Amino acid sequence: MLKKESGNRNNRRRILALIATLSLTSGLVTSCSSSSNGSGGTLLFLTNSEAWTHADPNRNYTGQHIAWFGSFMHRTLTAYNRAEGAAGSEVVADMATDTGRPSADFKTWEFTLRDGLKFEDGTPITCEDVKYGVSRTFATDIITDGPTYAISMLDIPKDKDGASVYKGPYKTDGNDVAAYDNAVTCSSDNKTITFKLSRAVADFNYTVTYLSFSPVPKDKDTGDQYDLAPVSSGPYKIEKYKPKDEMVLVRNENWSKDVDPIRNAYPDKIVVRFGVAEEVRDQIVLSDSEPNAMSLDGILPTNLATIFNEDGTTKPEWSKRALNVYDPYVTYTAVNVSKVSCLPIRKAIYYARDFAALLQLAGGPAFGGDPADGVIKPLMGLDYKPVTGLEDFKPAGNPEKAAALMAEAKTTCPDVYAKATGKGLVFDVGDTETNKKAATIWIDSLKKNAGINLKFNFIEPGQYYAVVFDPTKQGDLSRAGWAPDWANASTVIPELFLETAGFPLSRVGKDPAYAEFKKRAEANLSQSDRKKQGEEWAALNQYVMDNMWVIPGVFSKTQEMWGSKIEGVFFWEPQGAPSFGDIKVKG
Amino acid sequence: MIEEDSGVLSRSPRQLAWLRFRSHKAGVTTLVIATLLILATLFAPVFRTLFGLDPTTRHTDLLNSQGYPKGGFNGISWQHPLGLEPGIGQDLLARLLFGARISFTVALIVTVSTVAIGLVVGIIMGYFRGRVDSVIGRFIDFLLAFPSFFMIVALSLPMIQRLEQSGLLEGNAARVGYLVIILIFFGWPYLSRVIRSPVLSIRERDYVLAARALGASHTRIIFREILPNLWTVVIVYLSLSLPGYLTVEAVFSFLGLGVQPPDATWGLLISDSIKYVLTNPTYFFIPSTALIITVLTFNLLGDAVRDSLDPKSEAS
Repeated sequence: MLKKESGNRNNRRRILALIATLSLTSGLVTSCSSSSNGSGGTLLFLTNSEAWTHADPNRNYTGQHIAWFGSFMHRTLTAYNRAEGAAGSEVVADMATDTGRPSADFKTWEFTLRDGLKFEDGTPITCEDVKYGVSRTFATDIITDGPTYAISMLDIPKDKDGASVYKGPYKTDGNDVAAYDNAVTCSSDNKTITFKLSRAVADFNYTVTYLSFSPVPKDKDTGDQYDLAPVSSGPYKIEKYKPKDEMVLVRNENWSKDVDPIRNAYPDKIVVRFGVAEEVRDQIVLSDSEPNAMSLDGILPTNLATIFNEDGTTKPEWSKRALNVYDPYVTYTAVNVSKVSCLPIRKAIYYARDFAALLQLAGGPAFGGDPADGVIKPLMGLDYKPVTGLEDFKPAGNPEKAAALMAEAKTTCPDVYAKATGKGLVFDVGDTETNKKAATIWIDSLKKNAGINLKFNFIEPGQYYAVVFDPTKQGDLSRAGWAPDWANASTVIPELFLETAGFPLSRVGKDPAYAEFKKRAEANLSQSDRKKQGEEWAALNQYVMDNMWVIPGVFSKTQEMWGSKIEGVFFWEPQGAPSFGDIKVKG
Repeated sequence: MIEEDSGVLSRSPRQLAWLRFRSHKAGVTTLVIATLLILATLFAPVFRTLFGLDPTTRHTDLLNSQGYPKGGFNGISWQHPLGLEPGIGQDLLARLLFGARISFTVALIVTVSTVAIGLVVGIIMGYFRGRVDSVIGRFIDFLLAFPSFFMIVALSLPMIQRLEQSGLLEGNAARVGYLVIILIFFGWPYLSRVIRSPVLSIRERDYVLAARALGASHTRIIFREILPNLWTVVIVYLSLSLPGYLTVEAVFSFLGLGVQPPDATWGLLISDSIKYVLTNPTYFFIPSTALIITVLTFNLLGDAVRDSLDPKSEAS
């Protein structure tokens, strides 16, 4: 899943946002009704994004947003356990009565829905609604940016271009609906859904935790526009959603705790205020002027010293209001290999970069994280092995190595060399203050150590992934962060690098090394021996680094803070976000 | 000499103005400061070679693990008289000096261009009167009534892209180019308005009538008879609009319309320093103070120049 591009937008919007914030704060009063179990009150979220990247469950792929919508609005067949630490990575039944019943060969999975499930308008949730929800993933021209596991895993034939013969629910002509009906079937009582898969997937019950496996009522589906008004199956429904302004969730009267074992739904009302300037957002929480507020964007590096000690531990007075933990993400810079088709140049970028300064800018090792050696985090256990061949890496950059690589590039790939040293490579980043400073470090260190010119393309953070996903708009380098969708690198290596995958920012299809990679990765997906599979993922991680398809950043850490009236926050490891659904607001 | 013989010391208007200026204390002080400022920015590359004041060198070793300059007070030392920029560790004085080159260039180009255009149009309006005057006058009304600030903000992205696509300018040059062009476009009418009225009265003076009666051409009348009477207005306007455009440039880079990193202008530095108002106040105060001192200097200097050239006008 994607790491949110958080941070400050440019100042023009900062001022408009400041005006908006000032006018809003005076109008917002925390409701003080509170019952004995801690429910009641208004929970306020602050973000400087202009809107959710996507509220449509099928298009949501940002870990934090999945956690948020999964906690409040969209239910799935199974879900992650709401618990701190490793227990949080266990899968529990959500809308289904159990965590799924696989066939012996793990190619067929069955889930039975609970009784009494309802949408926000009171209509019962049936197997057909889930089936319809899953079908939307196939309409790749309208339902963009979401996870595509349904397409890659379900047993639906592919046409000669490798695309699924089923094109989603919106197309009629040339659309093989029968193929989909064959792969996903509902029982006669409309309660049990059966998925037929094209290969053995032993952890398919983790796949269905994704919101793209949540129910969508067919008669309410407005295609592209569903992003603004998704129908709730969870404890809250949308009262108001206005991008650049705010979102208000109120209780969904048709949701019942009796048929939902995992959601707590303490607050009466949830408000998300968009477009709050980063300094304002931090100051609201730091000064506790709105004690029911929580920041959705992490903390400005400049404010870290107020809350945390230099070694990264929380100061005593903040111990109940902040956390600093390793999240599941690896940050990296995806190299658009179709444009930078020159291995020595890609390596030169890696060696020339002043990593130490970039880490220092992110708050140092105590807050930024540890240098990454690939796209798989050591936490992944089975799938991780330290990457070799990067011994010449020096934190502050290795000019000799970079210069040698550039000299090599000059003869082996003169075209890319001319571009890199002449007009320069285009680097996509979110338009945030921190990224602007990072740009200075990148430009300076690459110019000095390798003679490479960089041009930065600053993109509004909420629009960032939508822009770089578009091959026609993506530059030569794109900042990104990725976390495994569940504890198997099958959600990392193939997802990031296979051409048909969900997040192919490296665009490696034309690279000479791709054919072998494709063969090995696809073979390993159906590997049934988990230990061997893990070893192969580690080997493929090495392969990716040998070809430098990404410039690895950090195994990252994340910081969160919230107001004094907020209780019950813990870090939900698999989603890399606070467990939003367990938050209480004190009266 | 002849003057001594006559017993009366005669002085040209220019000498008189210089005498008045010399006795203007604020004027002399600000002239010295302004000269130093201009020299410092002009010779910033020389300082780089002489004192190592380089805006691109990142002194990351002088920052602590979280990117703050070590030792408090923004890491001020003999090597770095104004300390370092937090997060990236570049020398702040060097950043200010090199940033000022961009700010001053923009302000200077815009001021000179608006004065040139405004002067020509103003003379044309006042001298020819009638239909020419009313057509240009209405166009000026249109420009002045335009919400130029919002126009500049709204047009920035598409216009900068156009400039880049046209291949004339690239990156930061395109951003600065856009700002210069649009500021000139909206800037010249003010001076035209100011110039028009004195021209209206000057063209009726006897010596202009005489010149016309002698058959002098329009060009000769405008350049030899009218223009010399306008220099006072122009010089005063020039000295007051320069600090004005310095501020405008800072405002637009503060809003994210000006140059982007790695280059810096004062507006950009101020915008960055705001985040540090509580955690590193020294850094917060330096760029803002620099801008205040500069604008104040040029404004006072402009006042002093006006007082000396035109003592009859009200002193501010």
